[in-house]
Amino acid sequence: MSETPGGPAAPCCQQRRGFLEKAAAIGAGALALVAPLGVGVNAFLHPLRKAGGGDGDLLKITSLESLPEDGTPRKFNVTADRVDAWNRFTNEPVGAVFLRRIPGQPGKVAAFQVTCPHAGCAINYEPTDQGGRFFCPCHTAAFDLEGRRTDAVSPSPRDMDDLEVEVRNEHEIWVRFQHFVLNKSEKIAKA
Amino acid sequence: MSGFWTELDRRLGLSECIGACRAHRVPGKASWLRVWACVMVFAVIVQAVTGFFLWMYYSPGAQSAWESVYYMQNQVAGGWLLRAVHHYSAHVLLAAVMLYVLQTVLTAAYRAPRELAFWAALGVGCFALGAIITGDLLYWDQNGYTSTKVRTSFLNLLPGVGQSLLALATGGGPDLGNLTLTRFFALHVGLLGGGTIALALAHAYLTRRADQMETEGTAGEPWWPNQAWISSTACLVFIVVVFALSLRHGVSGPHRGVFHGSPADPAGSFDAARPEWMLVGVYELSHMFPPSLSIVPIFIVPGAVLAFFLLMPWIASWPIGRMVNIAGTLGLLAIVVGLTCFSYYKDAVNEPHQKAWAAERELAVRVRQLAEAKGIPPSGALTLLRDDPKVQGPRLFAQHCASCHNYSAPEGKAILAEKSSAPEMHGFATRKWVSGFFHVKTITGPDYFGNTAFRNGEMVGAVKDWWKEAGDDQEAVAELTKELEAVAAALSAEAQLPAQREVDQRDKELIASGLKSIDAMCVDCHRFHKAKGGGAPDLTGYGSREWLHGIIANPADPRFYGKSNDRMPAYRDILTAREIDLLTEWLRGEWFEPAAE
Repeated sequence: MSETPGGPAAPCCQQRRGFLEKAAAIGAGALALVAPLGVGVNAFLHPLRKAGGGDGDLLKITSLESLPEDGTPRKFNVTADRVDAWNRFTNEPVGAVFLRRIPGQPGKVAAFQVTCPHAGCAINYEPTDQGGRFFCPCHTAAFDLEGRRTDAVSPSPRDMDDLEVEVRNEHEIWVRFQHFVLNKSEKIAKA
Repeated sequence: MSGFWTELDRRLGLSECIGACRAHRVPGKASWLRVWACVMVFAVIVQAVTGFFLWMYYSPGAQSAWESVYYMQNQVAGGWLLRAVHHYSAHVLLAAVMLYVLQTVLTAAYRAPRELAFWAALGVGCFALGAIITGDLLYWDQNGYTSTKVRTSFLNLLPGVGQSLLALATGGGPDLGNLTLTRFFALHVGLLGGGTIALALAHAYLTRRADQMETEGTAGEPWWPNQAWISSTACLVFIVVVFALSLRHGVSGPHRGVFHGSPADPAGSFDAARPEWMLVGVYELSHMFPPSLSIVPIFIVPGAVLAFFLLMPWIASWPIGRMVNIAGTLGLLAIVVGLTCFSYYKDAVNEPHQKAWAAERELAVRVRQLAEAKGIPPSGALTLLRDDPKVQGPRLFAQHCASCHNYSAPEGKAILAEKSSAPEMHGFATRKWVSGFFHVKTITGPDYFGNTAFRNGEMVGAVKDWWKEAGDDQEAVAELTKELEAVAAALSAEAQLPAQREVDQRDKELIASGLKSIDAMCVDCHRFHKAKGGGAPDLTGYGSREWLHGIIANPADPRFYGKSNDRMPAYRDILTAREIDLLTEWLRGEWFEPAAE
């Protein structure tokens, strides 16, 4: 062991230098690790940055004549353009709506999303002795013909989602087709 | 040579490792209760190996996921078995973890120094469950798609972060799609698959450490060869169970191995979605809560149950802690088993549910037939179904025609109007169907014009006149009957129905005489080839593709009913030309069927 000037310093400084070295080793390593992780997580979070609140387009669905006079609902497929990440589909089925004439209001039509507001299954129409109802087969939510929940304890957090309807030229039925956030008591349009 | 091995061993340390294994001792005696660590490691190796080979065939994309699984299931030799072994080994692993946890609770083997090993086993269970749930979507069939849609929608129940988590899980689109698949695939293979492997290895390591701590100073029994023999037999039992499950639907046929349903249709509806067996209890529990409390059965109860298990080593230190743990576990088990059985029972007696499943199985067979015969276009297998009259015809008919028309097919294929008020459409344009117009009782009945504006029309009048003229004269009646048979044959031949091709060929003479009779009897009102009658529908090419498409597109066209059209709307305003084609082809019985084997 040789004692040279500038060699091992006093114990206090040695300790500090040891600490600095350890901190630097951990810091540099962590920094090196955080950079690629950050790049990955940043890309992963992309879906959160998409613009929200889609208004939906008014789409021509059918004509008034194809709806029964007595207010029985009918299901119609909705065809529109659809984008799925890198794919664009033109004129594809994108979902379906229930349409029914509103009894007592000639020329007036009500439209509902077939998607159940609970968990997103497709609601069916069932004729019953009391004049028919809407029924979801997944978790057995039931709705009346106005789309209101009828179970004492419904699995659905809200009534069926009604859609804006426009009757043009006295017989063309146009519907603003939108999807809504599932499992919420409020009706929030999806992007 | 031995020098080479010695040198290699010095570098690798193999004999040290083997020596350590052989020297390892288990507390007490070798036992069937100590096989779990080995079985879990074995199971994740099975997962990794089969998963690696599946990876070589799988393509995660909305137009290629189902298609690549179809290819594996049907075209790759033994591909179905590979899928089945991967699928069932995950399920059996999860079941094994459950049994192991149960055993651990009953024997209080979570106590020091085995807390960490116990937690690692719980971790294996959670990660395996995650891998099963994410793997479910990867088939991209209707059940996987709909179940995932339901499951991811539950994220919205979480206050504040729910919608963001949902967007991160599904890729942020309005529907599940390409980005959902790529994300779920990465999660499935990378995070959950990798995590399960890491946790199973960690569990084995921690168990070994605990064995060492417990055998210190005591004898125990050497791990090799008794415990090794028992453990490897357990692994063999594991794989036998997996193969038994994989082979239970046979080694051939459309449903061998793991069921692969019809391709996911974001716009379609699927009425039979149900979760996998291990989630059925939670599914049933969720029915017991109102929507404002949905978070309780979906997140809070399962979270509390997991917390209870994690805390067991600590609870056991209470005076009656062990009993609390055992009672809690057995109680939970009873509740879950009860709810699960109840749910399965409910579905078994739920007729619409069984019907929906039967329809899905049928659709899965159908899409396979189409894919085999036609090949899958780049737009995906869904296109095959959307372009298939056999599939789309009934749907379009039910949606657009069945408010007035019946389609009274046998064998549960009937589509009936609530109150039929227009002609029956099953057997359209066949001889039998056409001849119904020629008898007073049938034409005025509900299956023809009975409930229409033509109930008292000219056609009904003409038919009445024919039979009145024949009167009671048996000879005249026989002659008229014969002539009308010929007319029906001739008119039906105009349709050129595929099902009647042979009869039409055979009965050339009958048809020729029928054509003459049509020229004599019908052309005052109907147009028929060169004869220019007017006022009633053109009979030229009656029931042919072109004719049927025309009358559906616009029944009020002068060629058909003109101004006298009853209530039938012009479907060219409602359906696309292709949809009318599909309906036409279906009504005419014109669709692809594979040759009988």
